[in-house]
Amino acid sequence: MVIHVLAFATSPRRHGNSETLLDYLLEAMAEEREVAITRHVLGEDIVINPCRGCNACEKLGRCIQTDDDLNDVLEEIVEADCVVLASPIFCMGLCAQAKALVDRAQVFRSRKYVRHEPVVPPHRKEKRIGIFVSTAGQKWDIVFDGAVMSMDCFFHVSDIKKRNMRWLMIDGVDQKGAIEAHPTAKDQAREMGAGVIRELKELKGEV
Amino acid sequence: MSGTTRGNSERALTDSGEAVTVHGNSEISLTGDCSAVTVLGISGSPHRHGNTETLLEAFLDGARDAGAEVEKVVIKTLIYRSCQGCNACHKDGECILTDDFNTLLERILTVDVLALASPIYSMGITADLKSLIDRAQPYWARKFVLKTLYFDYDHIQSHKGLFISTAGQSWDHVFDGAFPVVNAFFSDMGFEYYDNVIANKMDEYGGIKGHPSALDDAFAKGQKVVRVVEKIRNR
Repeated sequence: MVIHVLAFATSPRRHGNSETLLDYLLEAMAEEREVAITRHVLGEDIVINPCRGCNACEKLGRCIQTDDDLNDVLEEIVEADCVVLASPIFCMGLCAQAKALVDRAQVFRSRKYVRHEPVVPPHRKEKRIGIFVSTAGQKWDIVFDGAVMSMDCFFHVSDIKKRNMRWLMIDGVDQKGAIEAHPTAKDQAREMGAGVIRELKELKGEV
Repeated sequence: MSGTTRGNSERALTDSGEAVTVHGNSEISLTGDCSAVTVLGISGSPHRHGNTETLLEAFLDGARDAGAEVEKVVIKTLIYRSCQGCNACHKDGECILTDDFNTLLERILTVDVLALASPIYSMGITADLKSLIDRAQPYWARKFVLKTLYFDYDHIQSHKGLFISTAGQSWDHVFDGAFPVVNAFFSDMGFEYYDNVIANKMDEYGGIKGHPSALDDAFAKGQKVVRVVEKIRNR
């Protein structure tokens, strides 16, 4: 059975540090057998507008905004075994582009807590992994804290268990290309990529 | 986000191209500054006239009551793009984008009190307000890369920033993801992070109007901050 990986590169800077770190991870995943990767670049492959706060998803179970790709993307998130989101830290939080996608996952929250509908079928809940990939220029201890809280919400409403959330976060990389000179980032990313695929195969009962 | 842009930005602070120091009010305090305290409230909620905007209104009413000149801007009504992460501002302190956010950021530098309002979405501020904050990168660059912008102690003391927020959840930590973001923005723009006007459990209370004290507290905090700024000016 194929492992489906869905990845979002959300940084407005193309091929910058967070996207490169994501690529290290995905390359290692792609080297494993039977892995299908879908990789979206926000603003290029897909457009995601901010949430309008209208709460219509509580009534409809989907978003009323039809001029962007959100509703299709939500279904892809439901189908995926592994959801990866890469964002740089801007001003102590996710970049606004990533936050727009995270806010729009309100549809899942509405399905789950208002409409009492499953987001994914019960038998798949335990078998999904979420990975947050991030880079920050600063080296402060707390630089990822705000982003992690929002990502925890995003994965939670996407029916990804806390124990199945993975965090690949590298600080102190600011200039474009700095990630390539980082002593351990590439190895960490590759190790996590291969490890997560192995874990998913175990979770899905294939090993 | 709208892709349309409008070229109406003002760049009063950097027209000269020289290093700019924004001074506090110490020089004029000898005679007392009689001009009204200016208060700018920015609503980052996409939901018009909802809990957060109502709480902001109560705060602004209090400030107005205390004699301040008050203005409210709703991000949802503006035309803007998010930061493109190009770092061009690290070279010259200017944003390559020209839209309503350039004007708004310059406006922020001219007011005494800044109230940033956003509901909590997914444990953080809305993408709308985050867009504005991300676009402040030129000011960060002027301060820390180019070193052409500097706010002295008196300036920061006399410029107060408040975060106004509501959350549906009852968790005590529901605002924790927003605080560091807001703190960083106030710091970039020369404001002391002075206070929060926050209320959680909106789901439980059935909205801000069902909250026992939030609107009164917001009004009182609006009055108070104006008096505090006046007092600092006349010190």
